[in-house]
Order: sequence, then structure tokens, then C-alpha cells
Amino acid sequence: MKVEEQDYQSIIEKVWPKLKKKHLYPEIPMPRVKGTADSKEGEEDETEGVGLEMKAKQMTISGRFVSRMKDKMPEQRVIEALLDHGLSHYTFCPWDFHTHLMLYAEAKKVTDDKRLAKQVANYFIDVIADTHCVKKRDTEIPDLHRHLKKGTVEEVITSLYQKIWGLDLGISPSKQSLQGHEDIVRRLARIPYLDRPRWGESIKKFARSIKPLLIEEQREKEAQGGKGEQNPQGDHDLNHYSNEEIDQGLRDYAKQTMALSEFKEMVEDFSDELKEMGYGMEGGMGRGPGNPIDADVLFYMKLAENYSIPLKKLPLNEKGSLHPHSHSPWEIGSPYQDVDIWTSFGKIMPGITQVWTKKEGKGRGKTEGSPDCLIAIDSSGSMINPRKSLSYAVLGAACATNAYLQNNAKVAVYNFSDAPMGGKDILDYTDRREDLYRVLCKYFGGGTALDLEDLMPLIRGRKSLDFFIITDMKITNLESLIGFFGQIQNRVTAVHIGDNPYAARFEKAFEKKKNISIYTVKRKEDIPHIVLGRIRDYFNPTQIKNS
Amino acid sequence: MEKMKPIAQSKKGSPSPPDKEPGMVRNPFEEFNSFMASTYPLPLDQIVQSTEAVMDQIRWGYEKLLEEEAKELVWMVQYNTIIKAYEIAEKYVKELDYSAEDIEDFCFALENTQKIPYLIPGPAGVYISALCNYAKEEEIVLKLSELKTEINLLGFRLPKEKRLRIDGDTGDFTGIGLEGGELFVEGNAKNWTGAGMRGGKILVKKNIGLHTGEWMMGGEIYVGGRIRGLGNIVEGKVYEREKLVYPGKAKYPNLYY
Repeated sequence: MKVEEQDYQSIIEKVWPKLKKKHLYPEIPMPRVKGTADSKEGEEDETEGVGLEMKAKQMTISGRFVSRMKDKMPEQRVIEALLDHGLSHYTFCPWDFHTHLMLYAEAKKVTDDKRLAKQVANYFIDVIADTHCVKKRDTEIPDLHRHLKKGTVEEVITSLYQKIWGLDLGISPSKQSLQGHEDIVRRLARIPYLDRPRWGESIKKFARSIKPLLIEEQREKEAQGGKGEQNPQGDHDLNHYSNEEIDQGLRDYAKQTMALSEFKEMVEDFSDELKEMGYGMEGGMGRGPGNPIDADVLFYMKLAENYSIPLKKLPLNEKGSLHPHSHSPWEIGSPYQDVDIWTSFGKIMPGITQVWTKKEGKGRGKTEGSPDCLIAIDSSGSMINPRKSLSYAVLGAACATNAYLQNNAKVAVYNFSDAPMGGKDILDYTDRREDLYRVLCKYFGGGTALDLEDLMPLIRGRKSLDFFIITDMKITNLESLIGFFGQIQNRVTAVHIGDNPYAARFEKAFEKKKNISIYTVKRKEDIPHIVLGRIRDYFNPTQIKNS
Repeated sequence: MEKMKPIAQSKKGSPSPPDKEPGMVRNPFEEFNSFMASTYPLPLDQIVQSTEAVMDQIRWGYEKLLEEEAKELVWMVQYNTIIKAYEIAEKYVKELDYSAEDIEDFCFALENTQKIPYLIPGPAGVYISALCNYAKEEEIVLKLSELKTEINLLGFRLPKEKRLRIDGDTGDFTGIGLEGGELFVEGNAKNWTGAGMRGGKILVKKNIGLHTGEWMMGGEIYVGGRIRGLGNIVEGKVYEREKLVYPGKAKYPNLYY
């Protein structure tokens, strides 16, 4: 480590306790310093104008930036200002990945351009973080803005700060570059930046006002053929967030929008960044480098993670009883009963919480377990195409899939339309969530008929097997299906959409069959709730008695 | 029964003494008592507050207009109803102190049902026109391209020396009864644009609907795209893609040509 770098690191160590206290002790590791003024030529070309980098929760101060600023401002104050800025991002805006996505999505509605929307969101997030810090803390941020090198957009933003903070930041209203942009500053100054519930509405207003300026700047950059000024306070890319935070953000975003097209558009806009971070869908939790991201599948994956279905276990024949053997990390949506509270420090939090992985002991006997499940999903023309809009049938099936997988059972999928004519897709028993979701999301759109011959190999030889079927019951060979269900003793959960004569016939046929539960959904929107609730009832006989 | 000691009486930052009476509840955040986060008033607070206050007044005026003119939430566009609605709008608008940005904010607030329960495009347009006509600024820019509703009657009676630029599309009756002002629509305008205008200019960057310039008495209409149909024009000029179409060969009103 070079001497200058060491000096800066010691400054950080000195000011860090004070800064942490000022920002109410956020869980952020000690910031680091990277590079100095005498770094080799070209070593830091890519981040030359950037003073602060944030990856996961690690803030890194550019020594080179601090050295360049030291003629204008003492190093300690530069460092303090940069760290105040970084800390405000973690403690106020954007706070989490979901907020970041929400702001980006709102900006995109106005700009209709991915790059511009990202720029707008970055500037907006910066204005909020800095304004919050100036209002709530003693900070050197205004001084830093006074001395930063500025392009046209930065001058307008600094002029905005001057207006809303009431401080002189060295921008004269008569400055030539500001001529013609006064109206933009005036418009920007009216936005309630610190009013969190109104951020969605505010960023649209922000985008409307600043869009012409960003377009103008882009044109100038293109004309010059070079790259423009970099944000000295660092860019806000996905590097800020860990994979867990991205998972959580996508989950929240899917739940909030409930709109497949919006989610798909957003995932596609960030696909490069997600790929760069190694975020894929393999591995069951939606991570790890693997296949390219299928936004539709990811949407149902994340949306289904918002619901969890308790699954009552059945007595199954096993070689011996289970005993806790080793630990594994707990994941969101996993059952709580196996959590080891001692090694989890009493917390339910991904990354901290651990569950016992159980192993079978020696001997023979009956033990409680979850049976595998065969899911039959109707993808005929009368059903919603899950890749066009939100299909509650797929969502319901996805929730059921999750419930079985989380209980260490395997799931097979029989996706059918006009099965005898080839309109079907069969996936054998697996615990690979991505594969299961891909088959669930497949849409044929033809007529509706089951080929029972297809089901036999999936059922044969399996004593304990649950059957889950979701359809509108407009099945041409419904009588054959009724006959088939009449013969089997497995637990069957049948969900049908809407009232129709076929559904009535199906219900009547199984009025007295105890192993078959039928659920009618009159409004498609009710599927996730009713299916989930009824399944709980179904698997919890005590609740049925009580209700 | 023993009363609980108020938190303020406990020593700042000191842990509870070992000889403290049993059953005494200790504030677990006591150590943080020494930290007092300060908040600095910023001009932003004042700006936001006054903006909200102005918006409340503008909203109140609009609600009054609806109360008086659209009691059944139905409003028919007729010469008399427009004149009457405008007179009422004028009455409330004259009393207000607002800026051009407030007018734009009001346009967006109209779509927020939590803020304004009813958006009736006719009275809303008349009210916005009155706001524009009585604004302090000579030039008003309304960036309305993200607005989901096309507002009717924008630019009604725009007076001389006023310029109104609308980024986005407008509804029917845009710029009717124009009184010498300049109205620039950055998108499309619908039917009856410029009807009964007496003077001034209407520039529509894209296309325009039927009955364009119906009973116009003077002024000019410039259309960057296509005119779907002209109205019965008395006096004035209409240009389509820089070509004079009235007075000219367009003899029959409302025909596609």
C-alpha cells in the first residue's frame, strides 16, 4: 500500500466511528481506499472521475479523486462528504433494490428509453440522498458540490441544490451554461424529494423536467464521439446489491406490479447487469450463472415466492427415522420447523438462519414425510397465455410446486391442451425448480383433452402421491378423467375456473369421494388466495373442523 | 402500586445500577439518549409547502366550478355552457396567485383520483384555459405527454401576447375562440380545433381532426401532419404541411382530401 493510500485509510479509520454514529449505526463495513494520484498511467482510466464506488455494502474511496480535490478542499472533508453520500444511499434512498427498480420503472414511463431512465433514476437518487443528508446531518456535501467539476446537467443539478438548500455553491444564475435552463431548475425545485411515499410521482416529474437536458447532453456526447463526465459520487448500478437483495427486490416488484409485461420489460432492461453479476435462475433460488434469464419464468418464480402453503405430511414408509445431521442455510419460503434457533442466533433472516438437514437412521418403520406431487395444468385456448399476461392458473400451480419442493418432495408436470393430438409436455419427477416452471409456463392454446395413457407411467409404482390439477374443466374427455379419478386413492386437489356445466358434472361425480377436494374459483383473481387457503384446509383437517 | 419512573429522569447513557429496584422497566435504548439528531430547515420545505397550498386553492376553484356547472357530473359542450363555465372559472382564478408550473401540476393532479375525484374533460379544459389566460407569465409550457386523458378546450380564448405550448396531444375544441394568442401543440389535436377563433395562431405539430376552423373569424392554423377535415370557415388561413389549404381548393368541409 502506498503512503498516500495509507494516509487516506487512516483518515477513514479516524472519521468512520463519527460517521457511523451520525447515520445511526448502519451495518456497513469499514470503507477502503483504492488508487492514488501517482497510480500508473491508464490504471484507473475507467473510473477516473469517480470518487466513490459501492459494491454490495463495501464503499471504496478513490485515492486519486481525493488527491485531485485536495487543492480545493482538505482530504478529510472530501472523504467525509463522499462517505456521507454513500451512507445516505444505504440509509435513505434508494434503501433497497425494490425502491431502485420502482424508481427506474417510473422514470422509464416518461423517458421511454432504458439509458435515459437509468440516468434519470441515478440523478434523482443522488438528489434525494444528498438533500436528506444536508437536512438531517452535519455534512461536507455542499462543499464537495461547490468544488466538483461539472458538465451542463451537473450545473443544473448544483443550481437546484443552491435553490433548495439555500446555500451558495458557486453557480451564478447569469452563468452562460445555465441560460435557458432556469425553467428546469424552477420545475425541479418544486419536487418534494424527502417525501418517500411520493417518490413514484416525484421521479416522473423529475424525468419530465430533466429529459430534454439529458437528450441534449447525449447529442453533444455523440457529436464529440467521446464519453461524457462520470458521476463523481459513483454510479448506481446493480453492484450495490447482493444476490439476496436482488432476489428480494424482484420478489417485491413482482408482487407490487402483478403485471407480467412490466416485470418482463424491467428484467430485460437490466439483463446485461444481471448477467454480469452472474445472476441466473438455476439453483432453485433464482441465482447462479446458468441459462439466460427467462423473464416470464422469473416473474412466476418471484411472484410465487410471496405465498407459502403449509403442507401436512403423511406417514410414509422409510428405512429408519430421521435425525438432525448437518446444517444448511435457510431460504425465504422454506418451512420454519427445521430451523436451528441456536446457530441462527434466534433470527429468521436469509444468510443468518440455518436449518437442520436430516438423515435417515438405520432400521425400518413409518415416519412422516411429504409425498411427491403430479401437477396437471391445462394450457388450452380457453386458459390465459401465461407469457402474455398474468395467469393465475400458472401462479397457483407454481405455489403448489414450491410447497412440495420446500418439503423435499419431487414434482412432475403434465401440461396439456389437446394431448392425444400432441398438445402436451411431460416433465418427470424432479426438484429442479427452473425446469418445472418452464413446463408450467408452456402454452399450447388448442383444444382440451387429457391422454390418460400419459399419466399412467407417472403414477404407477408410487403408493404415496398427491395429484394437483388446475383447469377450466372444459375437457372433451371429462368422463374418462372422472373414471380415472374414481379409481385412484391418492389425495387429489382439483381447481377449476368459473362455473360451467362440466365443472358441475365433475363436482357431482366426486361429492362423496373423501380423497378428492374440488375448489371452484369464480373470479380468476381469487385463485392464488383460494387455492392456497383451501389447500391449507385440505391438509389440515383440524382447521376444517374449526371452520 | 409503584409508579414507573419517567424516562427523562434517568441518567443519560448510564446503565441501570445493580441495586435498582426489582421489576423496574429499563429503556433498552437509553444509551442513545445522548444522541440528538438535528434537522436543518431548508428552502425546499418552504417551496414544497407553498406549492401544496397553491395546489389546494386551484383544486378548490375547480371543485367549485364542478359544483356550479356540472352538478350531475354531466356537462354538454354548447356555446352557452362554455361561456358560463369560463365566467365561473375566471371568478375563482382571478383571486389566485400561481405560476405556470402550478397549472401543469394541476393537470396531473386531475388524473389522481385521490386528490381530485372527478376529471370532466370539458370543465377541466375551461378551467385550465382560464388559469393560462390569467397567469403572470407570457409564455406557458405544459408538458402533458404522459397525461392519459386528452383534455378538451385547451387554449380557449387565449389572449394576445400569450403563448401556450403543450407537449403532448390535446382533445376536442382546442384553441376555440382564440383571441390573438399563440397556441403550439407538440402532438395531435382532435376535432373542432380553432373553432370560432378570432385571431392569433394555432400550430399543431402532428395531425388534426374534423371541423378544423369551424366558424373561425380570423387568425391562422398551421398543421405539420394531416388535416382530417375542414369546417365552415368564415375568415382566416389554414395550412397543411406548409401548404395553404384555406382559402384554397378545399371547397367542401369535412371531406377527406
